[in-house]
Amino acid sequence: MKKLDAFLLILLIIFSFFALFPIYWTVITALKVNSEIFTIPPVFFPTKITFSNFYTPGTTFGEVSQTAFGSFPWLINSTIIALASSLIGTFVIGAPAAYALTRYLKNVWFARLILFMMMIPEAAFIIPFYVIITKLNMINTWWGLILVYISFTAPLSTWLLMGFFSDIPKSVEEAASIDGLSAFSTFYKIALPMVIPGIMVSIILNFINAWNEFIYALVLTYTPFPTGAQTVPLYLTDFIVIEKSFAWGGLAAAGVIVMLPSIILGIYAQKYLVKGWTMGAVKE
Amino acid sequence: MDNGGSEGIMSEVIVENVTKKFGNFVALDNVNLTIKPKEFFVLLGPSGSGKTTLLRLIAGLEDITEGSIYIGGKKVNDVPPKDRNVAMVFQNYALYPHFNVFDNIALTLKVRGYSKDAIKSRVSEIAKILHIEDILNKKPRELSGGQQQRVALARALVREPSVFLLDEPLSNLDAKLRVEARSFLRSLQKEVGVTTVFVTHDQSEAMALATTIAVLDKGIIKQVGDPYELYTKPKDIFTAGFIGSPAMNMIPGKLVKDGSSWRFVSEDFSVQLINTEFENEYDVILGIRPEHITLVKDDGINAKINNVEPMGAVTYLDIQVGSVELTVQYTGLIKLEAGMEIKVKFVEEKMLFYDRKTEKLLNI
Amino acid sequence: MNRNQVIKIGLVFAAPLIIYFLIFFIYPIYLLFKYSFTSASGAFSFINFENMIRDPILYDSLINTLYYFIGSVAVQFSAGFIAAVILNSYTGRLKNAFRSILYIPLTISPIVIALMWLIIFNPTYGPVDYMLDMNLNWLGSMNLAMPTIILANAWEYIPFVFLIIYAGLQSVPKQYYEAASIDGMSRFQTFRYITLPSIRPIMIIAFLLNSIGILQGFTLVYVLTNGGPGFSTYILSFYIYKVAFTYFNLNYASALSLLFLVIIGIYVYAILKLSSVEKYLGIKK
Repeated sequence: MKKLDAFLLILLIIFSFFALFPIYWTVITALKVNSEIFTIPPVFFPTKITFSNFYTPGTTFGEVSQTAFGSFPWLINSTIIALASSLIGTFVIGAPAAYALTRYLKNVWFARLILFMMMIPEAAFIIPFYVIITKLNMINTWWGLILVYISFTAPLSTWLLMGFFSDIPKSVEEAASIDGLSAFSTFYKIALPMVIPGIMVSIILNFINAWNEFIYALVLTYTPFPTGAQTVPLYLTDFIVIEKSFAWGGLAAAGVIVMLPSIILGIYAQKYLVKGWTMGAVKE
Repeated sequence: MDNGGSEGIMSEVIVENVTKKFGNFVALDNVNLTIKPKEFFVLLGPSGSGKTTLLRLIAGLEDITEGSIYIGGKKVNDVPPKDRNVAMVFQNYALYPHFNVFDNIALTLKVRGYSKDAIKSRVSEIAKILHIEDILNKKPRELSGGQQQRVALARALVREPSVFLLDEPLSNLDAKLRVEARSFLRSLQKEVGVTTVFVTHDQSEAMALATTIAVLDKGIIKQVGDPYELYTKPKDIFTAGFIGSPAMNMIPGKLVKDGSSWRFVSEDFSVQLINTEFENEYDVILGIRPEHITLVKDDGINAKINNVEPMGAVTYLDIQVGSVELTVQYTGLIKLEAGMEIKVKFVEEKMLFYDRKTEKLLNI
Repeated sequence: MNRNQVIKIGLVFAAPLIIYFLIFFIYPIYLLFKYSFTSASGAFSFINFENMIRDPILYDSLINTLYYFIGSVAVQFSAGFIAAVILNSYTGRLKNAFRSILYIPLTISPIVIALMWLIIFNPTYGPVDYMLDMNLNWLGSMNLAMPTIILANAWEYIPFVFLIIYAGLQSVPKQYYEAASIDGMSRFQTFRYITLPSIRPIMIIAFLLNSIGILQGFTLVYVLTNGGPGFSTYILSFYIYKVAFTYFNLNYASALSLLFLVIIGIYVYAILKLSSVEKYLGIKK
């Protein structure tokens, strides 16, 4: 047993190395001085740590610049759009729809519909969404992206929460209906508070997905805050395209800023993720 | 809406020709019942008998396929649960996990627009009756099974419902607590005086609690009566076998006219009947409870002891009479062993005869 | 409550979803159909579909997509599965720590992953070539570009397969293993006859969800290779984007989008039909 564990431990360490090395490299690149970034052989343990890739005096907002601090206007857009599309997807659409599908409209076709909505590849919808958002006069606006992002936040929320709602005993809601609550107050006073873990996962996963989204933002936005709704992934692409091979330090620093919130939120939600994804087919 | 306490409490429940189908499955088949005000009415049956479905129909949680239900003289077929002024205790208690005990009990009053002071006094009043004053601030998950059950009772009784419905509320308690809860429930019901419908599959629970019992099987009401009646004169084989523990002994045989008197003849023995009269000769099943078989010195039926089970106050004997095995209850302890030969006698006035075709009781 | 009331209340709860669905799913599909059957002059026409048949880039894209898809599924599923089995067999104290570590890449934005790969796989200053003691131009070579994209994509999604299968392994009741050891089964036999059948439903769910995720791939190609070198990393999603927003041929791009939807539709329908995944998910009895 001990021998086997030692062997497995080695394998796990190798796996962990592969999982962590790119992150480690990005973080140290963000903290390196240029002379240690562009050198052969590469420096694995930086001798000098600098924060100048994140911020140097004179950095202006709203420009793709050498330092990550310039990404602030994109970060504002990302935060607002990810929050709004996550919350709307969870509370306005996902939760009531999941409740309806587990309690009132138990039909395999409704569940298939949700699956279908989740499966649609973003690239297949860029044209119609571009046309619709143009018609609504919402190109390069928060609402334009929010409305489009709901196309993935809402089905995911519905999917996740169906598993959580079907887990709560029906008798609690029946007790509420005898106690005098209407179907709607039963939903938001009784059922909803009972799936708070599910709501949290839904909000977090939606936020991460919206925060990380790229192709719709690429097509539907073209300037950062305050004139437009470009999100932070586009800051990174601009950075890559404009500053190609010049400012890895600033690029990596911006990458660190972008990945930090989603890693933190992701680890927080980890406990309930699998149950959510598999609609409760696996309970942890 | 809520029509206040005292008037509601006198409510009578009438179930009239009620049929409930789930798809093609008939859960209840033309059921008729009258539940009198203040009665402790028990619906008793094995699982799948339709007893819980009937309770849910009275509560309004399921809709009726055919027939009508009246509560307090008013037809309630289309009245939603909240407007029937019924209260229900669920098998799993169904407490609101995110509310504390006080809010669990108070919710129904809040919804019905009671003032803050009224809510406070009603809740503390019912909490006192149920001895849960100390736990009003706790969440359901912090409570023991017995406490949860009391909270569920409190929640149901706080607004003085006209009908009080309980769906196997004791089945989640351990054996000792269950017996305690039984007597508590019985006295509570007397104190509050509310019409109560109680569902259980446990016949001893039914006997202990009920003023009236309805026995259900496969969606059909088999018999309605008080516990005494059901125990002494079960009208059909199902009820006879379902009520009583250990179960009634069933012996197939024939009723034969023997001159001026009647005689029960089985494969292995026959019994002369002195005081019992019948219209015809029948193929029958003789039902006799274990306590109505007595041990005799001589002039009895020959039997061999298979097993002895001394319980203390009584002793159960499994005896073999020809091809049938019977259970005998002997009051007190007796020194007998498996393999011994004995003689037994049936108490004639306690012998019940069921027509083998109709499965109905023939005794008058 | 009778059936009609139940449906009525259900529809009220689902109303926001239904309205959104009509505007942002049904209407888009209608638009795709409309544009697909429109010629450059605006007339109804099959020209876009006729053009598909004669489009060599489409053939390249389809073959690349298949390559990308099969490669990704193979790498992600096998690596995720192996990692899950290893962690599940490991009895040390760091179990939960390893689980978290192996899960982290999943939360990272594809765009950040693209950035990482650019830096790490840089032929001059990148650590990978240095560690391998080779000088490979990963993203600039016809043969290596697609495998590099598959690898970068796998880095993100192996954790997805890993996490679900690991949870499935953890949920196998311990008594099964105890019974197996009493019956004298070997490690391998236990795995073959107890573990694998127990987690079959979960593996199928993981497979379905994972392949949906893989089909979303676009960002890595856009940032890392921009389809190149040549057309070697053109995948269908990228080609749709190119046709629509570089060549501004919305009609042809719509036809390609429809084609994409049909392919995915057939694929998912086949999975649903061939496996009992709907039953496992509890959406069908």
